[in-house]
Parts: sequence; structure tokens; C-alpha cells
Amino acid sequence: MNRRQLLGLGLGGSSSLFLGGCALNGLSAAVGDATQPLNERIEALLQGQGKVPEFRPDKVEPAALLVNSFNGVPRLDPERYRLQVKGLVGRPLSLDLGALAALPQHTCVMRHVCVEGWAAVVAWSGVRLADVLRLAQLSPLGGYLLIDSADSYFESWDLASALHPQTLLATHMNGAPLPAANGAPVRLTAPIKLGYKQSKWVTGLRVTAQLGERRGTWEDQGYEWFAGL
Amino acid sequence: MAHTSARQPHHPLWTRAFHGFNLVVLLVMAASGLQIYNANPVFGGRGGAVVPELFTLGGWLAGGRDWHFGFMGLYALNLGLWLALLVQRRRRRLGELGDLTALKASASAPRRRLSAHRIVYTLMLIVLAFSLISGLAMYKPAQFWWLTSLFALAEPLGVTSWQMLRVSHLATIPAMVLLVLAHVVLSWRVGGLRLLRAMTL
Repeated sequence: MNRRQLLGLGLGGSSSLFLGGCALNGLSAAVGDATQPLNERIEALLQGQGKVPEFRPDKVEPAALLVNSFNGVPRLDPERYRLQVKGLVGRPLSLDLGALAALPQHTCVMRHVCVEGWAAVVAWSGVRLADVLRLAQLSPLGGYLLIDSADSYFESWDLASALHPQTLLATHMNGAPLPAANGAPVRLTAPIKLGYKQSKWVTGLRVTAQLGERRGTWEDQGYEWFAGL
Repeated sequence: MAHTSARQPHHPLWTRAFHGFNLVVLLVMAASGLQIYNANPVFGGRGGAVVPELFTLGGWLAGGRDWHFGFMGLYALNLGLWLALLVQRRRRRLGELGDLTALKASASAPRRRLSAHRIVYTLMLIVLAFSLISGLAMYKPAQFWWLTSLFALAEPLGVTSWQMLRVSHLATIPAMVLLVLAHVVLSWRVGGLRLLRAMTL
């Protein structure tokens, strides 16, 4: 075999490897299933209960925050809006925007990271999700939080992440009331999770002991469930 | 023996297995990485040009992430083991300052090629380690914020640390392609087809 023949063989071999790559696409989910449990365990271990460092307020990048929507933009009437909190709680709640505004307000200037690869620094303000869950007298039997949205987007979180001090039910973005496209009147935000975990137009919170069949709109399509940052 | 030609020399099995394994893991990481790239091109964002499907692995974003994060642990272990074995028993393959001098001044062509090859080999390890570090900084920017903030050095020029991270993590692919090409060419000069077969068969 001379050098030219070998080169041909190499090119042929590598292109068949790429063709093999197409057949390998069918194995993606199996690779994920085999490796995600360990990865998620490590992610949960890495994630402390303390705050992660925040950005200076002047670092926000409003233009960099792209809008992704699963099912259009639902318009919610602020007057009729209620946040339902139920499940494993001692005191189920139905909170209007006034009740949320009466709780302690917090701001978190964080990097909002999308699974697609882009990121934007955003200042989210609102109440701590932990404060709402404590107000509802969260049961020690609770392990997961299911989040329903007005556009039928669905999410589920581990409670440790939900109780993180920087996990907010945000009503404001970059100092102004939350725009409809970004989840008005109430959305979930946290610097410790990828963007698709941060549901917009949140209308219902349910505390459960176990995860059900449905783990999330995108998770059920193949995205990671823990999705920690 | 079916072979009629002169006896074909072989590298030890573990060397060949390791070498082949490296290649497979790198191809998986690069192809699945390019699949992730296509979800939001680093250059141009949503309107940017995407990588042809031929070079991607996973089929769509979640599939690409399955492969990329499924193999990252293997990749890190592999690289760690490789480095440990090199330092332990093959230290002479690593480049050193003398190689730069030899490259410039040595009258012997084989000596210059050996020096070039040691530098290429060492650069490969550095690029691979860098891909691991920049990948970790992007995978866990909240938990490893200190790692991510190292990439803020171009902020005075208007390049955010996130964009810097994305560009530098991506840049490890073309860097490795060039280094692997140099490695193949230099190996060919040393042993040609015989060496290639000794290393793969």
C-alpha cells in the first residue's frame, strides 16, 4: 500500500465513522440514561445551600436575554391572578399579587444560562420561593416541587434547590415590572439552574414526596432533570 | 501464521488500546460539542451558520448533551491517567526548553523532528487539559464561579466572560485538529505505514 492508497483508506474510514455517527444518534438517550444518575448526584453534592456570588447591578445585559416560549405568551389578568400552593403543606394557599408583595422582597443579579448555550446577566426581584413554601407550612415529607404554568408548561424541582436563598418567584426584571414575554406576573428564577427549569407564568406549586411520570415539559423530551449550574 | 511478510512489530496492547480509546473519546466529545454549538452558534447566535450534520453527534441538543456529559467523566479520567502514566514512565516524550533550542539550532533533521514532535505532544496535553477546564467553567458557572471569572480578562474589550468561555472552549477543536495532523505527519516521517500499523493493529 502506498501513501496515496493509505490516505484514501483513511478518508473512507473516517467518513464511515461519521456515517456511523448518524446511526449513533439513536443511542443518545441510552448514553444519557446510563450516565445522568451519577452526574446528577455529583451536581447535587456540588450545589451548596449558600448563596452563589452575584453580579453588580450595572452588569445587566437586557439585550442578551433571549425569549424562548413553549406555547406563545399567555396574558394573565393581574387582578384575577392567584398562586396556588398545595400538596404536602400544612396550609394550602391561594396568594394574590398583593399577598406576594407583602412578603420580604429580594433581588438577585445573576447569570441566566440557557441550555442552548447563550447567557445573560439579569437582575430578578421578587419573593423567595422558600418564604412562600414556609408560609404554606411545608411538610417534612415533601421531597419535590411541581410547578404549573398558565401556558401548560410543567416543571419539577428537588426541594433543596427550591429552598435555596436565591431561588425567587420574581415579579420584576432589571428594576421594572416583569414583561409578559418574560413571565408576567410571576416567574421562577434561580442562579443555580438552567433556564428551562425557570418556569414563566407560574400559577401553581405542588409539594410531593415522589416524582411522577412527568418530570417536565423539556425533561420528558430528553433534557436533564437536575440541570444544575 | 498466515502472515508471509516480515514480522510486524507491535506496541504493547495497553498502549494501542489507550491510543485508540483516546481517539474515540475525542471524536465523541468534538462531534457532540459541535451538536451543542448548533443550538446557538457561538458566532452569530440564532442567525449564525451551523456545523453540517455530518460532523455532529446526538441528532439534537439534548442528544448532543447526552453524549457530551456522558463521556466527560471518561474523558477526564482518561486524560488524568494518560498524564499520570506519562509523568511516571514516559517523561522523555514531553517537551522541554531544550527542544525549542534544538528546533532552531540543531543541524540534524531527525533531532529537529523529535523536538517538534515532543512539543506537539505536550501542546496536545495542554489543549486537552484546557478544554476540560473551560468546559467545567461552562458546565458549572455558579458552583465554580471562580473558574468562570478567570475568563473575564477580555471584558475591557467588550467581550463578556461567557463569550470568552464559549470561544475558547470551541477553539480547542481546531487546535486539536492541527496538533493531531502534525502528530500524524511527524509519526509518518519516523516510521511510515509500519509504525502506523504497529500503533493501531
